[in-house]
Amino acid sequence: MPVAHVTAIPSVAKSVGSTRIVLGEGIVNLLGNADLVADEERKLRREIVMRALEALTTAGVVTS
Amino acid sequence: MALSLAFHPVNRILSSDKTNLEGEVLTVNINELRDHLLEDHRLESVDLEIVYPGDRCRVGYVFDVLEPRAKAPGDGPDFPGILGPLAPAGRGTTHVLRGAAVTVVDGGQPGGELGYASRRGGVSKVLEMSGPAAEASAYGGLAHLVVVPHAFPEVTRHAVLNSLRLASVKAAVYLARAAAGKTPSYTEVFDLDSSALEQRATAPRVSYIGQVHGHQHGTETDEHILYGGNTVGMMPVLLHPNEWLDGAVVISYSWGARGLETYFHQNHPIILDLYRLHDAGEIVLAGAVATVSSDRRDEIDRNSMMAANIAKWDLKADGVVLTKYVGGAPHTDMFETARVCEELGIKTVALVSDTALDRRWESATLMNIPGVDAVVNHSEGVDVSWPANQVERVVAGNPEVVSKLAQLRELVAVNVCGVANNQGASRLRSMLV
Amino acid sequence: MRVVHYINQFFGGLGGEEHANIPQEVRAGAVGPGRLLTQLLPDTAEVVATVICGDNYAAEHLGQVTATVLAQVTDAHADLLVAGPCFQAGRYGIAAGAVCAAVHQQLGVPSVTAMSRENPGVDLYREQVYIVDSGDDVGQMRDVLARMALLGTKLANGEDPSSPAEMGYFPKGLLRSQFVDKTAAERLTDMLLAKLRGQPYEPEVPIEIAEPAAPPLPVADLSKATVALVTDGGLVPKGNPDAIPLAFAKVWGAYNIADKEALNAEEYDVSHGGYDNRPVRTDPHRLLPVDVLRGLERDGVIGGLHPEFLSTTGNLNPINNSRRMGREMAQRLLNAGVDAVILTST
Repeated sequence: MPVAHVTAIPSVAKSVGSTRIVLGEGIVNLLGNADLVADEERKLRREIVMRALEALTTAGVVTS
Repeated sequence: MALSLAFHPVNRILSSDKTNLEGEVLTVNINELRDHLLEDHRLESVDLEIVYPGDRCRVGYVFDVLEPRAKAPGDGPDFPGILGPLAPAGRGTTHVLRGAAVTVVDGGQPGGELGYASRRGGVSKVLEMSGPAAEASAYGGLAHLVVVPHAFPEVTRHAVLNSLRLASVKAAVYLARAAAGKTPSYTEVFDLDSSALEQRATAPRVSYIGQVHGHQHGTETDEHILYGGNTVGMMPVLLHPNEWLDGAVVISYSWGARGLETYFHQNHPIILDLYRLHDAGEIVLAGAVATVSSDRRDEIDRNSMMAANIAKWDLKADGVVLTKYVGGAPHTDMFETARVCEELGIKTVALVSDTALDRRWESATLMNIPGVDAVVNHSEGVDVSWPANQVERVVAGNPEVVSKLAQLRELVAVNVCGVANNQGASRLRSMLV
Repeated sequence: MRVVHYINQFFGGLGGEEHANIPQEVRAGAVGPGRLLTQLLPDTAEVVATVICGDNYAAEHLGQVTATVLAQVTDAHADLLVAGPCFQAGRYGIAAGAVCAAVHQQLGVPSVTAMSRENPGVDLYREQVYIVDSGDDVGQMRDVLARMALLGTKLANGEDPSSPAEMGYFPKGLLRSQFVDKTAAERLTDMLLAKLRGQPYEPEVPIEIAEPAAPPLPVADLSKATVALVTDGGLVPKGNPDAIPLAFAKVWGAYNIADKEALNAEEYDVSHGGYDNRPVRTDPHRLLPVDVLRGLERDGVIGGLHPEFLSTTGNLNPINNSRRMGREMAQRLLNAGVDAVILTST
């Protein structure tokens, strides 16, 4: 089962053996940014989720 | 930049009607000090207690430990940006009460299953003054003035923490001012430009890159860390080793619990050791870089790159020592910085902390990055404990903690202040067996 | 110091492979390599009894042989059990590991053995028992016994042995906190100077990189796939029904979101002591993007969002515990027919 691992600390994801690594925004705000207005924040979140979905449909080891 | 530390040994602290240093006895006018601390209108009251090595006494929960120090009159403000007006630290003479400490107790919000509330509430660190735990602690052999500030109930938590910070530096400076005008028993001069030893011309250039804070638990607006700043959005900066030793840096509000105290910024074990090697001509201490561990991915990358760049192109370092803030996430920033340094041809060593509960190697391997192969592993002491001495006195911030601390049967090293340390002071090593 | 020694029939002088079926027997004092061991131990030390057993017999009657050794160690009031050295002999190595482990665990008496790296006893017992690396050359007997004597004496005196490299035993793969003479700062500068001078240095953590698992096959058609959300950021329904702790979590939870268009902050909480939880408490989507995935589900980009999310707290968690929870979670998702996972980590 493919797993897209959304993380702000890709080095840790790599060292535990994750194969589809998706870069999130931050540790505290992984899929968001409290400084943005709601609409922009949702766009940002959608962009990260889309990268995750793309990773799930891509063969091999992915960092995106 | 030359910093002269004037050491005045102290082995007794006595309550008296006059604050004064006579020989190795520090007398303290407790009422005067209390009034001084109560100038902070957020505080309702302040308890002041004196504890000695060997006292069957336990203190908790500790917010911070500081060494009483005060600038000689005219040599600049104390703790600039926090207590005094902003001015460079690290120059002139600073009086040091060696053997004494100011220990500040956090009376608020203990609890949570780790001993702290989920977000930086109370801390679970105790100061133990007798028995084997005291012997293992860097603070067990010091005479402490313990400061227990009580804020008014309506004061918000971050403001309470801010009042603890102010009380800590005010008390440390107040005590050490007793040494002004007294002849120190010895003096040490910290001056990178002092004796230009011949062998130093060919010695390797070494820098220190240290995290002064980590943002993973959030950071308060009024949180004093570097020259009074809270380090939010901070990029790596050059910080002269003397500034580091002389009050430019204090620890953040949080988590004093696990191996960070201002005492070891003032007596920074790595900076002191690098100075020793510098003075012996074995290395050139090429300066220090203060940085932070970020909670944002882009900042982690940016800060790592910039810290390594400063070390390479400004300090022209051949080698760097890296340390991190407390906790797991700061390893990432430190190793990423080390990785970039190695890429630039700088040799690195890094200090990690071991908190693995299952005591298995695999749990210590997680953060490893190819190329970063020189790592020192200090243990936070989850597997070291001592039977707790029966104590006659507990100094704590509220009755709940008093009764908790009085009933302790066992002291785990991770909770004993001065055993584990992220600044390099600890002798508790995690061994691979 | 009183020592009991375990050896096989060959080193006990009872014969080679043809005598491997000899049952255990006990002799007073030292036999065979035990005599050399006596010389190498401190003057106050004495091999008080030797248990000899045929390799096949030991393999087939391990419980009985172990019981004999336990009885000998108890009766002799021994301070140390030495077994072997066994070099490459596999049955001998397994028996030596077993008796050493039993004596240490059941009687609290320290034990030491020695084997070559290829001996199957090493992988079976290295975590429980101090096993000196004997190499495969029986000619090195004296040297191997000397290292066993040194290590055994340290153990019998209640001291912690120094590193595997220094004392010549196979790493147990464990971490042990120990007070050392030098501060971390001094060890850092020592290590840096060695590195700068091109001298050898020993890292204090194991430098090994996990082998990446083979990447699972990608999702062929996303518009038909059920995607599940999993997080280690500690998101839980208000009240934390599974009592997931702030750290060291041994449990995880599965929480229904089947009828939720989005997550209402009022209904959720965060149980994680490792990061500032306030932004996620204010808007749980910052950790678990249910809002976006519902939209993508409506638009037909994904087949569907799995009706429950799985959650635990990845804070200060031992790796084996994390692995176990990971396996359990994966099994639940497999059983439910999930095609792909988005895992969000803080």
